[in-house]
Amino acid sequence: MPRKTKETPEIENEAKKKVVKKAESKEKTSSKKTATTKESTTAKKVAEKKETKKATAKSSSTKKTSKKEPLKSTTTKATAENKTSRKKAVSTKKETAKKATTKASAKKLTTKKTSKNMDIVEYYDLPYRYNQTIVKILAQTPTTLFIYWDISDEDRENYKKQFGENFFETTKPVLKIFNDTMNYNFEIEINDFANSWYLHIADSKCDYRVELGRRPIYNPADIGGTDYVYISSSNEIEAPNDKILIDKVQNMVYFRNVKTNQLTGRSFASLSLLRNMGKIYNIYDLYKELYKDENLYNPSSKFF
Amino acid sequence: MQDKKGYVSFVLHAHLPFIHHPESDDYLEETWLFEAISETYIPLLLNFQKLVEEKVDFRITMSMTPPLLSMLDNKLLQRKYIKYLKRLIELSKKEIERTKYDERLNKLSHYYYDRYSNDLHVFKDIYNCNIIQGFKHFQDIGVLEIITCGATHGYFPILYVNEKTVKAQIAVGVQTYERYFGRKPRGIWLPECGYVPEADKYLKEFGIEYIITETHGILYADPTPVYGTFAPIVSPEGVIAFGRDLESSRQVWSSINGYPGDFNYREFYRDIGYEADYDYIKPYIAHNGVRVHTGIKYYRITGKTEFKDYYNVQWAKDSAEKQAGHFLDSRNAQIDNVSQYMPNPPLILCPYDAELYGHWWYEGPYWLYILFKKVYYDDCNFKLITPSEYIDKYPEMQVASPCRSSWGANGYSEVWLNPTNDYAHRHLHVAGDRMCELASLFPNAKGLKKKALNQCARELLLAQSSDWLFIITNGTMVDYAKKRIKDHIGRFTKLYYQIKDDKIDEDFLKDISKKDCVFPDIDYMLYY
Repeated sequence: MPRKTKETPEIENEAKKKVVKKAESKEKTSSKKTATTKESTTAKKVAEKKETKKATAKSSSTKKTSKKEPLKSTTTKATAENKTSRKKAVSTKKETAKKATTKASAKKLTTKKTSKNMDIVEYYDLPYRYNQTIVKILAQTPTTLFIYWDISDEDRENYKKQFGENFFETTKPVLKIFNDTMNYNFEIEINDFANSWYLHIADSKCDYRVELGRRPIYNPADIGGTDYVYISSSNEIEAPNDKILIDKVQNMVYFRNVKTNQLTGRSFASLSLLRNMGKIYNIYDLYKELYKDENLYNPSSKFF
Repeated sequence: MQDKKGYVSFVLHAHLPFIHHPESDDYLEETWLFEAISETYIPLLLNFQKLVEEKVDFRITMSMTPPLLSMLDNKLLQRKYIKYLKRLIELSKKEIERTKYDERLNKLSHYYYDRYSNDLHVFKDIYNCNIIQGFKHFQDIGVLEIITCGATHGYFPILYVNEKTVKAQIAVGVQTYERYFGRKPRGIWLPECGYVPEADKYLKEFGIEYIITETHGILYADPTPVYGTFAPIVSPEGVIAFGRDLESSRQVWSSINGYPGDFNYREFYRDIGYEADYDYIKPYIAHNGVRVHTGIKYYRITGKTEFKDYYNVQWAKDSAEKQAGHFLDSRNAQIDNVSQYMPNPPLILCPYDAELYGHWWYEGPYWLYILFKKVYYDDCNFKLITPSEYIDKYPEMQVASPCRSSWGANGYSEVWLNPTNDYAHRHLHVAGDRMCELASLFPNAKGLKKKALNQCARELLLAQSSDWLFIITNGTMVDYAKKRIKDHIGRFTKLYYQIKDDKIDEDFLKDISKKDCVFPDIDYMLYY
């Protein structure tokens, strides 16, 4: 689609842009548009640069950031960033709003510096983490699970107290996957650079849950002789079904009248249901064969 | 009418994400709504009206999502749409002058001038700037059944790890529907047709009788439905599921030989926004000078090469009529075949994005109009029906659990959960959990705190819109979608801490309440 979207400028430029706009509207000059477009084109470039940097840093720094003092939340981060941006915003304001009445600008600069600017400058970034111990699983497809996790700083400290200062250096993270429908489990080794994982599973339409734990890398003696430390368990989900359950056809087929709630069971054989059902499902087989190269799912997919 | 062998049910899903920027005129994304009004919603209304005037008995079902309804009802966006139309009318006037050198082009310029002038008349004079009234009217006279959708089109198969967030999507969807249509919805279009059985109890709680699912939602159900997608099934919890028919979908949708690819149809990608002289077109494209679609398109698809011939309105209509005939014949044959194996008449369910009709497939609304006339007048073994009417006529249905599924590529959750957008889910989940935490910490709040808590709920819902995830996967306008997730999670988080610290910044709250002004009646206690 050749549609273009407005770029998302990073904080400093966003701040500048808005202040410029504000100042100008006060002055009621006609140069509004040229000024803002200029700003936003520079913003574009900066934003692009910054974003690529961030992306690369992110993938390799999970461990680092988690070890450092974590950002408590968006707000702490946002306010910190807002502060710097406000400074810049104020200085640009000084430059651009020269023509504006001195009264107005002075007032803004002195009294409304801290709280009032919040509704002018709005910039958010997603927090890197929420500092909670958590494992969550989702089904991406009938045979792929998506798993994400984190361990809170408090819990990290507790593990260190319990198993030694080097607990996280001498152990590696593992995921235990439990198939509770077919009653089996298996384990995979992950690494501390990741905070999420896609996992192939063999059996669709089964209940799954995942456990996050750690195992010693070299010697169980490093962590007091145990060879597995439990960290946390996930929610339980059912992976979707991916086939016609023809082999599960029962002797009775149940029909419900949704108005009266009356339930009627009919024997499969007596109604020649099986024959008709076969005919109907032949239609789908024919389809599969005829259109096997086409994606029959929603290709129009929205407006954009 | 008694001896009809089967039924066909058209369901059009009308949806756009909530895009409302009172702070700026620069957001191109706002024009999605305006394009959809001119290309899809008004043409549908006009064609429904024509059918009614011609006394053609027809039935159609549409889902109108809460964000779409909120935008159609928004005074600022209504004013902006009028401005958008006036600019287009001005441009097409200029085009009439500019294209005097070519008779065919000139005729098309006149066509656009008339069409956009008529849009303005219909919008302002007939519907008083609110086209929801139009749809409501057709529902009230019984030809259209409107169903609801999740509050902000949140994708249930990912949200349901916190069930209350799914419950809230359903509850607000039902409430918004009642606000605009004055009655309860009988059906729901699950966002992206994303079905999870865990949602059934909430659907029942809010009075929803039926859902629309993808084909394998029925075919892979447990136990296997004996009549395939040709009859609805009912889940053990009591929710009725209608499944999409494969054959009719393919005829309209196939990228290889679907109807919209006809060579006489209008070419979507050739627009004077990209082709006209830059200085001439500059006032009508994006504020920052980037070329965009204007809505004035002069070419037809023509063929599979770059060469494009001028669009011819009559030829396009001829093609639509031919294809409507083909669709009718195909359904006749399909129903003849299938009805032999069923005690009740089979139902062919044809769900599509509403915006396919008119926006992508410019002639789509006309095709529907011709088809409906043919069904009524021609020799035909089926009748049009809405899902509700079918339920009332044939209330006995097989009990089976629909399969977890969606209508996205490959049929499950890949579109909304993949390496391009999976970073978002932990934030959406945490925000959902925090919303529940706020509700239990501060039940039945009053005054400013209540306002802040309700705004938190709005921000959470807006962040959950499946559209942002879809856009990121799709790879166009990714920056806007990412910004929307950041903005709503950011606003939510800031308010969350302000509420917990009892330091609500009134100016901030006022500012974001103005920007994110959906669901005025929302009650955060839904998350309690």
